Amino acid sequence: MKKGNQLSRKIFGRFLRAIVVAFWVMVLSFALIRIAPGDPASTKLGIGAEKEAIDLLRKQLHIGGNPISQFFSYLGDLIHGNLGASLQTGVKVVDIINRTLPLTIYLILLSTLCALLLSIPIGTFIGWSGKGPLVYGFRGITAVFLATPNFFIAMVGILFFSVRHNWAPVFGYDTAFPKNLHYLWLPVVVNTIIMTSVISRVLYSSVTETKDQEFVETGIIRGVSGRRFFWFYILKPSLAPTVVLLSYMMGTMLGATVILETIFSLPGIGREMVGAVLTSDYPLVQGILLYFGAITVFLSFMGDLIAYLLDRRVKI
Amino acid sequence: MKIKKSFRSYKAWVARPGGIGISSGIAMMATLLILGVLVPVFGNRSDAFVGDPFARPSLKYPFGLDQLGRDMFSRVFNAVGVDLGVAFLGVTIPFVIGTIIGILLGLARNRYFLSTVGSIIDGINAFPLLIIAIAAITFLGPGLKSVIIILSLTNWARYARIARTKAVVVAQQNYIEAARTLGYPRWRIIRKHLAPNVSAETIAYALSDFILVITVVAGLSFLGLAARPPAAEWGSMIADGRIFIGQAWWLVIFPGLALCWAAVSLSFIVEGLFRRDRGV
Repeated sequence: MKKGNQLSRKIFGRFLRAIVVAFWVMVLSFALIRIAPGDPASTKLGIGAEKEAIDLLRKQLHIGGNPISQFFSYLGDLIHGNLGASLQTGVKVVDIINRTLPLTIYLILLSTLCALLLSIPIGTFIGWSGKGPLVYGFRGITAVFLATPNFFIAMVGILFFSVRHNWAPVFGYDTAFPKNLHYLWLPVVVNTIIMTSVISRVLYSSVTETKDQEFVETGIIRGVSGRRFFWFYILKPSLAPTVVLLSYMMGTMLGATVILETIFSLPGIGREMVGAVLTSDYPLVQGILLYFGAITVFLSFMGDLIAYLLDRRVKI
Repeated sequence: MKIKKSFRSYKAWVARPGGIGISSGIAMMATLLILGVLVPVFGNRSDAFVGDPFARPSLKYPFGLDQLGRDMFSRVFNAVGVDLGVAFLGVTIPFVIGTIIGILLGLARNRYFLSTVGSIIDGINAFPLLIIAIAAITFLGPGLKSVIIILSLTNWARYARIARTKAVVVAQQNYIEAARTLGYPRWRIIRKHLAPNVSAETIAYALSDFILVITVVAGLSFLGLAARPPAAEWGSMIADGRIFIGQAWWLVIFPGLALCWAAVSLSFIVEGLFRRDRGV
C-alpha cells in the first residue's frame, strides 16, 4: 500500500514538472517573435502597406500593445486549438501540422526501432566481452559517427546509392505503405547510424558498470541460464540510462529530420518549417515550434517514467 | 640531451590513459588551424576564378574546382576561420553567461525564485538546439550574427543547469566554509573558490558542446539560414555542391571531410580527457 502510494506520488510529481515546463515552452514560443528587431508586421507587409492591414496582422501575431493581455489572447486561441493561419497560403497552421507531422513521426519511430534492434546486441555484446581491440574499434567508429553531421552522411549516402547505383530516389514520396519505404530507407539509415552510435555507447558503458556488480556474480554462481540471465541480470539493470537517453535522442532527431527532409524533399513537418522560415511565415513557425517543444517535453516525461519503472533507483 | 628528456616525458604523458586520444586530437586540430591560417594568406583567393569549372582534383588543385572555377582547396581552408570562429563564440558566450547564472542560482536561497528560474531553464532546454535556432532565425533574419545571438540567448541554459548542480555541491565543501569563517567577502569566495571549481565542470561540457555547435552552425548554413553563398563556409559549400553531386563529388566531399575532421579531432580530445579523468 505504502509502496504504491510513493510510486504514484513520484510519478505525479514528475508529471507536474512536465506541465510546468510545457507552460514555459508555450511562453517561449509566444515570446520568440519579440526578439525581432523593429515591427515584424510592417516588415512583413513591406513599405507602403495600409495601416489597417498592419494592425490586423499585428493582432494575428499577438504583438503590439500590452504583452500580458496579448499573452492571454494567445492562450485563449490556443485553448480553442487555434494557432492562426499561414501568412503565405492562408491555410490553418493546425491543418498544416496535422498533414505533415505523421511522416516525420513515422520516420523517427522507424529509425528508433532500427537503432534499438542494432544497438542492444552491439552494446551488450561489447560491454560484456570487454576485449581491448574490440572496445577501441567500437569507441573509435562511434566517435567518428557521432561527430559527423547527418547531412554529410546523407550526402555520402546519396553519392553511393542514388548517383552511382540509383537505388534510392533523391526526391518524391509515396504515402502507400510498402512503396513509401523506397523513399524512406536512406533517411532512415542515416538516422539509424547516428542513433545507434549514441545508444550503443551508453548501453556499453552501463553494461560494463553492471557487469562488476555483485548480483551479476551471484547470478553466474547460481547458474541462471541463458536468456533469463541476459535479461534480468544484464540488460534490465543497464537499460534505464539508455531509455532516458533514447527519449532525449528522439527529441534531437526532430532537429535532424528537419535537415534530412530538406535533403530528400520529404513532405514532413521539418521541410515545412524550413520553408516557413525562408518565407517569414511567423504563425507557422511559432506553431511548429510549440508542437516540437510539447513533443520533447512529453518524450522526456515518458523516458523518465519508463526508466523509473525499469529501475527504481533512478531519480525522476 | 634536454630534447631527449622532454621527449621521454612526453612519451610517458601519452602512455597514460587517454593520451593517444588527446594528442592525436590536438594534432588534428592544430593541422586544421595551421592550414586555416596559411591557406588564406598564401593560397588562391576563395572567390577568384582560377580555371575551368568542375576541373577534377589534380596536383595543382588538390580538391578540384567548383561550378564557377574557384579553387576548392582554398575555399575549404578559408572556411576554417568562419566555422570554428562562429562556433567558438557560440560556445564561449553561453559558457560564461551560463556558468555565472548557475553559480548565482547555486547560492540563491529563495525556493520560489529557484523553482521558477529552474523551470524556465528546463523550458529552454526542452527545445532541440537546432529547432530553436531555426525558429529564432525567422525573426532575426538569416546570417552568422543571428546564429551567435541565438546561441547566446538559448544555449546558456544547459551550462546554467550543470553549473548550478555543481555549485550546490561545492558550496557545502569544507574549504568554502573555512573561507567564510575567515570572513572573506562573498564576492571573493565566488571568484576565487566557487568559480574555478564549478567551471571545471562546465568547461568539460563546453568541449563536447563545441562539437554540437559546429554541426549546428554548419547545418544552419546548409539550410541557407546562416552563412549564405558565395561565402566560404563548409555547410553552405555542401549545400551549393549538392545540385552538382552527380558530376562533381568533390564539391560536397571535401567541405564535409573538413567538417568531420574538426568535429572528430574535438571528440578525440573529449574522449581522451574523459578517460584520463577516470583513469582507464
